[in-house]
Amino acid sequence: MKLRGGRFALISVALLFLGLFLVLPLIVVFSEALSKGMGAYVAAVSDPLALAAVRLTLLVAAITVPLNMIFGVAAAWAIAKFEFRGKSALVTLIDLPFAVSPVIAGLVFILLFGSNGWFGAFLQAHGIHIVFAVPGIVLATIFVTFPLVARELIPVMQSQGKDDEETALSLGANGWQTFWRVTLPNIRWGLLYGVLLCNARAMGEFGAVSVVSGHVRGLTNTMPLQVEILYNEYNIAAAFSVASLLALLALLTLAAKSLLEWRAPELRHRAPQMRDLHRGVRK
Amino acid sequence: MSITLRRVSKRFGAFTAIADVDLEVPTGALLALLGPSGCGKTTLLRIIAGLETPDSGQVLIDGRDATAWAVRDRKVGFVFQHYALFRHMSVFENVAFGLKVKPRRERPAAAAIAKQVRSLLELVQLDWAGARYPAQLSGGQRQRVALARALAVDPQLLLLDEPFGALDTQVRHELRRWLRRLHDELHFTSIFVTHDQQEAIELADTIVVLNHGRIEQSGVPGEVYDLPRSAFVHRFLGQVNEVPVSRRDGRVYLGPMDVSATAAAASGGDIALIRPHEIEISRDAGGWSATVLAVRVIGPIVRLELRAAGRPANEPLEVEISRERYALERFGSGETVSLRLRRWQLYPTQAGDVAQATEA
Repeated sequence: MKLRGGRFALISVALLFLGLFLVLPLIVVFSEALSKGMGAYVAAVSDPLALAAVRLTLLVAAITVPLNMIFGVAAAWAIAKFEFRGKSALVTLIDLPFAVSPVIAGLVFILLFGSNGWFGAFLQAHGIHIVFAVPGIVLATIFVTFPLVARELIPVMQSQGKDDEETALSLGANGWQTFWRVTLPNIRWGLLYGVLLCNARAMGEFGAVSVVSGHVRGLTNTMPLQVEILYNEYNIAAAFSVASLLALLALLTLAAKSLLEWRAPELRHRAPQMRDLHRGVRK
Repeated sequence: MSITLRRVSKRFGAFTAIADVDLEVPTGALLALLGPSGCGKTTLLRIIAGLETPDSGQVLIDGRDATAWAVRDRKVGFVFQHYALFRHMSVFENVAFGLKVKPRRERPAAAAIAKQVRSLLELVQLDWAGARYPAQLSGGQRQRVALARALAVDPQLLLLDEPFGALDTQVRHELRRWLRRLHDELHFTSIFVTHDQQEAIELADTIVVLNHGRIEQSGVPGEVYDLPRSAFVHRFLGQVNEVPVSRRDGRVYLGPMDVSATAAAASGGDIALIRPHEIEISRDAGGWSATVLAVRVIGPIVRLELRAAGRPANEPLEVEISRERYALERFGSGETVSLRLRRWQLYPTQAGDVAQATEA
């Protein structure tokens, strides 16, 4: 009886927290967005500047996520499966973006590529725009998100060890076959999770991007920046409308993850006893 | 496929895993690398497989220098201690893996692969399990899938790292006999690593005992068991009683017995190792008198713990007799009996032993 009370209390606390910090804000975002009616919402999200922000955000994510995926897998593979000099330095370096404020990350790129920066004169001479342009936003986003995939994969790969790969090699597979047929399937859930985190952060990053973007409307404003501008102009409903799009993108990625997990054969095979039990009951 | 190792050494940082090992494994042999953990046996196996590169020395396959060959060029089947089955693949796909990754011109057609996989699964008595996933199988079944997978690429040499380590006794015994049969039928060369002397003696034609990265002794199991060349091998291959000898006035005593006349006494060793079944126990007078402390019936044998006269209480001697003998004699706890040593071997005390003795 006492135990049941404890369980009830634990579940209540968890639900209360979820409601207060996750569900309520989501409801607020959508209700504020729709506060001036459906017409105003549609107008706000189909505004050319808003659409430009959506396009830029998706473009940045589309460049950042694949690059970080490749970097993350390569770094995690190197760290988990090989011994080399400077390995612990590499691990520390990967964590650097977590330790550094995103604003500083943005400033670093200004110092490097801005007109007064180290490479500023060279870039200007060749007509290359990095800062206050799309390349700068991509660079800043990559910097902020690059630990996410690697950090997710390192423990997964370390716990799996090298046995599977060595088996594949002894069975005659080459390096490429081993990666595609053995390593990648083994890490795919960790990779997917890392990619989702990376994607969410890439779409939602504010600080670093804000520094390098220059806030050129319709050109270098990502969705979070667009939300801020609208909000500062007291255009609350429009700000929340764009914010709701961002929230929708997040919900979509979560749905995609659930769908993939649901369709994975080995997850369905993970608890055979339970399945057999159900089958028995149905008979 | 024959394997020759010439002065092979391997270090990991400051730790010497393998030191100057020479080894000859003839075609068709079933060889056990036996030793305690950390003795270098798995490293040696991995060097033969090509999963580890020796720091110095040569690995010869069929007389050709294969030291620099890649794993996949060695035609070696490797079975890991924890099977390393691909968990995202069904049993069928696991076994088919080695066939499917072959270069296009060597790869059999899909139908031929399916046929071969089915016959391999029959061979390991798992033809019903093709569609299952590794997580749905027991340890013994997984081990057999791992073997079928290794055999699929028709290896000339099968390497097994602690193949039965994670299985319970019953399954282990069955799998050993099955592997022995398989080895005899298919005529490949097999090398397996184990720390279990029983397993090595039961399964192998040749036992190689390793200690601290060196080969202590190799030979057929009976010979290594009966004629151990060092105290380490003697101790490692079975239970032993350890009795220090005393030398007084030019005579050599083992307990109260004057053993000066024996050949072993001349060797200059000072500790005698005696296996429990090499001690004769009786009620006749004249032997080494001892008190029975405990009697334990273990299947076909009966093990007695005895305190022999002049021995410390915390170092009882262990004696094993047959169940039948025990049924006739019925030695009871507390009874005084007399011991005779049928066989024993003398070894010099090593530095480590002295340290142990002073600790005790």
